[in-house]
Amino acid sequence: MATLQSTAPPEADPSPPRRIVRRKRTVAQRLRHDWPLLVLALPVLAHLAVFHYWPTAWNIIAFMDYSPYRPFWENPFVGFAWFERLFNDPYFVPALLNTLKFAALNLLCMFPLSVALALAMNSIISIKVRSTFQSIVYLPHFFSWVLVVTVFVQVLGADGLISNWLMGFGGERLDFTANPDTFTLLVWMQWAWKDAGWGMIIFLAALASINPSLYEAAASDGANRWRRMWHITLPGIRPVIILLLILQIGGILSVGFEQYQLQRQAVGYQSTEVLDTYVYYQSIIGTQGESFGTAAGLFKGVIGLILILVANKIAHRLGEQGIYQKS
Amino acid sequence: MTAIDTKPKRRNRNRPVWDEEPSLGGKAVKALFMICYAAAIALPLWAVLATSLASEEALSRAGGNLLILPTEVSFQAYTEIFSGGALTDSLVLTTVLTIGGTAISMVLTICGAYALSRTGSLWHRPILWAILLTFLFGPGMYPSFLVVQKLGLFNSYWSLILPGAVGTFNIIILRAFFMNSIPGELIDAAKIDGAGEFRTLLTIVLPMSKAILAVIALFYAVGYWNIYFSAVLYTPGLDTQPIQVVLQRMLMSTQGLPEGASAAAQYQDQGAAAPTAALKMAVVVCTIVPIVLMYPFIQKHFTKAVITGAIKG
Repeated sequence: MATLQSTAPPEADPSPPRRIVRRKRTVAQRLRHDWPLLVLALPVLAHLAVFHYWPTAWNIIAFMDYSPYRPFWENPFVGFAWFERLFNDPYFVPALLNTLKFAALNLLCMFPLSVALALAMNSIISIKVRSTFQSIVYLPHFFSWVLVVTVFVQVLGADGLISNWLMGFGGERLDFTANPDTFTLLVWMQWAWKDAGWGMIIFLAALASINPSLYEAAASDGANRWRRMWHITLPGIRPVIILLLILQIGGILSVGFEQYQLQRQAVGYQSTEVLDTYVYYQSIIGTQGESFGTAAGLFKGVIGLILILVANKIAHRLGEQGIYQKS
Repeated sequence: MTAIDTKPKRRNRNRPVWDEEPSLGGKAVKALFMICYAAAIALPLWAVLATSLASEEALSRAGGNLLILPTEVSFQAYTEIFSGGALTDSLVLTTVLTIGGTAISMVLTICGAYALSRTGSLWHRPILWAILLTFLFGPGMYPSFLVVQKLGLFNSYWSLILPGAVGTFNIIILRAFFMNSIPGELIDAAKIDGAGEFRTLLTIVLPMSKAILAVIALFYAVGYWNIYFSAVLYTPGLDTQPIQVVLQRMLMSTQGLPEGASAAAQYQDQGAAAPTAALKMAVVVCTIVPIVLMYPFIQKHFTKAVITGAIKG
């Protein structure tokens, strides 16, 4: 075929077949046509380049012995030395384990709570009750963590409402918000307070998209309330559950920063240290240096990337759409 | 009508005929669960409001802290906040950051989303990928910090706005709306009538997207209002801090148990005496009020817009 093409020059091409051929326009022609769109996209691209891709490129210092006091190219490459040091650091592994613990907690306890709330809400027929309940439960989603922690200390802290109330009955002072042993429970309660209602909203939207005639058909076939839930409702929200699950798994090492940093002083670093606070306290506040902090962050980013790709792959295997299509 | 209607039990008229009435026990359990849940959210907020309105005598009588109901209402804490001191400065700063930041974010988001909504244009796919890739990998805290330093934004208020000015998720949501909810014929018609891209965007597309634009703006506004992490990371040296940072310092100053000496010194450095519970709670109320004011609007449009965007991706 190659020889055939090379022997026939384009000018000698016999009359082309009579079909509408979209002429491939040159880049210059398209540029003349599309330049306003490129101008519109430019600010966003510039922003991403400066605040996303440039810092991403800076991750290379995780493999260098970087010092800001010498020219960039004079920093020697040290391979994985910083990662070795990271894994040998006595504070890193506990921080990693704490992160995984909180992520697992989030996955196991927050999802079912949100789904249960959504199912309970969905079975309420009165629109008034629904909208009142809905507006109460997802308001805290818009609160900052500072606010949430302040409110928790005010209610459950040593001088808080419940503590005062207990002492009024001759009980003991509560130290729930400063107790390292129950910190996991506290974190879960704060999550539930802040975000369970928000999760509920997302599932409610998914529930609303289920065709109601399915329920009617099942009911006339004799399926009771629970069977309808099992065979129609849950399969109906399966794609959304899987989508959120993938996103959760991808963010498994990003359990947040503020919630832990805010309670670090009261609870102590042993229970509150997660990867983000570790990076902050070791290398931004502390003296571990640029390369060390970058290596810790890169570790987190790469694991997150791998997890999200794997989770998406599994979702495809399960016949779900996942976050992006196979291409 | 049907046989079901002849049942002696009172039925909810909105309940579909095929749906059986739940048992009394089931109803009770569900009602109890939902009331407890709503109370667990609403009661602390009520207590915060009550404490902020309590006078100092009332507070000390109640054990120094929290009241269920304000016996004698006092606006002392609020006058202190708005009397022109550091707290007023902080609230003004946070308001300016919120308004300015939201404006910048909206311009960037609208331009990006519109450019990306015109599929088939030059370099459309690479640009889309450049945005989508940000979902998969974050640059990490330290490199971002380094870049902010290199740009000379460290301890500048710009560092609270610029690094997070573009929410790529919002771009994708808005792009999906432009593509799915604005008829392509309309845009084609505008083109035929001689309108360029800028004109089409301003006169056709934006007026048709008011609701979702307002929702996204509120999204950004809440984010800027709640700024805390960026301030801790990028602007630790500034005198006037966003309101969340001020609230955090108040919280720390009364929460006892200083762990690291440096951290403790930092909080003691503020010079002022420990704030009263009423003052603290009044600041909490001040940070909640703007959110509550936006809330009815959020409720009206928010969920629908967010969900359709999230699901259609």
